Amino acid sequence: MLISSQEAAPAGVLAAAASIAAIALAFVVPWSTENPAIYSLVDQILIAVTAAFSVFIMLRMNLMTFAVPTFMAIGAYTSALLGLRHGVTDVLILGACSFLVPMLFALPLGALVLRLSGVYFVLVTFVLTEITQLVLFETPGLTGGSNGLVGMPAVTLFGFELGDNKGVLLVTIGLALAGALITSAVTLGLHQHFAAIEENELLAQSLGLVVWHYKSFGFAVAAGVAGLAGFALANMLLTAHPTSFSPLSSVNYIAYVIIGGKGNMLGPVVGAILLVWAGDMFAFRGEYSQFLFGSLIVVAVLVAREGILGTLQRVLQPLISLDTRRPLHTASTIPTSTATESRP
Amino acid sequence: MEGIVATILIGVSLGAQYALLALGFTLIFGILGVVNFAHGGFYVLGGYLAYASMAFLGTPYLIAVILAALGTAALGYLFERFLLDRLVDDHLSTLMLTLGLYLMMSSSLLAVFGPQSPAFTFPLTGVLRWHGFFIPIENLVVLVVCLVGISSVYALIYRSDFGRALRALADDRAVATAQGLRPKLLFPAAFALATGLAGLTGALVTPILSLAPHVGDPVLATSFLIVILGGLGSIGGATAAAFIVGMVEAFSAVYLGGSKGALVLFVLVLLMLVVKPSGLFGQRVRGA
Repeated sequence: MLISSQEAAPAGVLAAAASIAAIALAFVVPWSTENPAIYSLVDQILIAVTAAFSVFIMLRMNLMTFAVPTFMAIGAYTSALLGLRHGVTDVLILGACSFLVPMLFALPLGALVLRLSGVYFVLVTFVLTEITQLVLFETPGLTGGSNGLVGMPAVTLFGFELGDNKGVLLVTIGLALAGALITSAVTLGLHQHFAAIEENELLAQSLGLVVWHYKSFGFAVAAGVAGLAGFALANMLLTAHPTSFSPLSSVNYIAYVIIGGKGNMLGPVVGAILLVWAGDMFAFRGEYSQFLFGSLIVVAVLVAREGILGTLQRVLQPLISLDTRRPLHTASTIPTSTATESRP
Repeated sequence: MEGIVATILIGVSLGAQYALLALGFTLIFGILGVVNFAHGGFYVLGGYLAYASMAFLGTPYLIAVILAALGTAALGYLFERFLLDRLVDDHLSTLMLTLGLYLMMSSSLLAVFGPQSPAFTFPLTGVLRWHGFFIPIENLVVLVVCLVGISSVYALIYRSDFGRALRALADDRAVATAQGLRPKLLFPAAFALATGLAGLTGALVTPILSLAPHVGDPVLATSFLIVILGGLGSIGGATAAAFIVGMVEAFSAVYLGGSKGALVLFVLVLLMLVVKPSGLFGQRVRGA
């Protein structure tokens, strides 16, 4: 375990840097085109990437979360309420709040649900998303009920209004970048702790790791990152509405990570780009994109356990090592999860 | 008074439907250790199969229901035999697999039948009047069929060799296998039984409620709720919890309105999972 996690760290750093660079590259879009369709597609991709990071963080601890829409909703409604009721338009304040408020919700929730693992954790987070929907519909005074919240003032940055398509895209890129930086800081900074929890929680605990500290922290950060995605989504749609946070939308975020590859941070990015783009291609027949997601999940689980990225890496590995004549070190860049999965 | 009795009747017939659904779900978890996210999908598929055989083949409703149950059971058998069986001990992988299947099923139904609800109505209509009570005949028929279905499942599980074998596998697979039971044969059969039950419920209930490609989502959520409340894998627990949930839903719908009852139930289940993951009646916790 020690060897594999130490060797995997450079690959993780590389992947994190690549995914941050990929998101930062999106800044090119607002200055190279005026096409609103492209703006919308890039918005959707970046929001999907940010939400998928939330799933990715939890997967580092071997927990599959369905609760992403819950925390996205908290982030979205936080920003919408601040804008509507308190006239807050500064994107930095709104972004910080949409990160911190879901975190605050996640701490007590985490104390409850993190006692569970495996299938039970999946079920409890799924139930959470159902509760979220019901709470949103049953509290019309606060959340607008089935009408949602509309009419938020345009967000601003240092007094500049970011209300048009370009402004929305800039806000989305900024939030996605923040999400990526936070995700990489947490997953790389706590790489060994998370790896120990993923591998064998009981053993980690017996070796002196205060497991619940790290699990609660990871859960809270994952909630915060999801909150950023929720804020970006509400900002793009100009409304915070219950249908944006449906229980089954969590399946999409999980699909991005599983299909892209859960080994490192680039996986969710690749998965979200490909799947959102594919979904957009099929937009005139929405049902086909769901079919595509479903069949890709089945294929990923059955034959490509490491997702697109991991499989590419595995296929390309022999070719690369053949070129550089370093056959002894072929295992060094395989991400931790795959390197450890093969152990009994 | 009549209002309360009528509500109880609604609750009982809801409970019977839920029990039939939840039995399949809990059987799959108890025996295979698989959380079947496609359960709602098999329910919808059952409804559409029954509708299609009536609309396109012109079969009577009774035959259509039987065809629906057999069709969903066959699909469940193939799915377990050829896909699920390869990963059956990996909880998260099987969960993703059933999730993928569910997306494929519901989107295929959407592509074939379109988003509109087809005209699929129960063949028997009318109201039975008895001492001032009004009971819709279709609800009564569904209730009776569901109760027969539940008792058949009980008889199968607790009184037949097949059931004994399944319970042995659920109890301790290693020992059961050492005794000569063959999971390779029994797991697909158990999965087929469970999905057949979901298809049967779908064929029975969708003509009364509604049939559309996405009516499986709330069914899945309700199955979760019941099975968690009753204890994952517990057959008696699922049956009891199904009637509890049916009653709570009926009373809250009649007297509270809206979805407050559902909210209370979900929060209850959340707390239940946290405090006692084995559920109301569960004995042991599997894989938690």
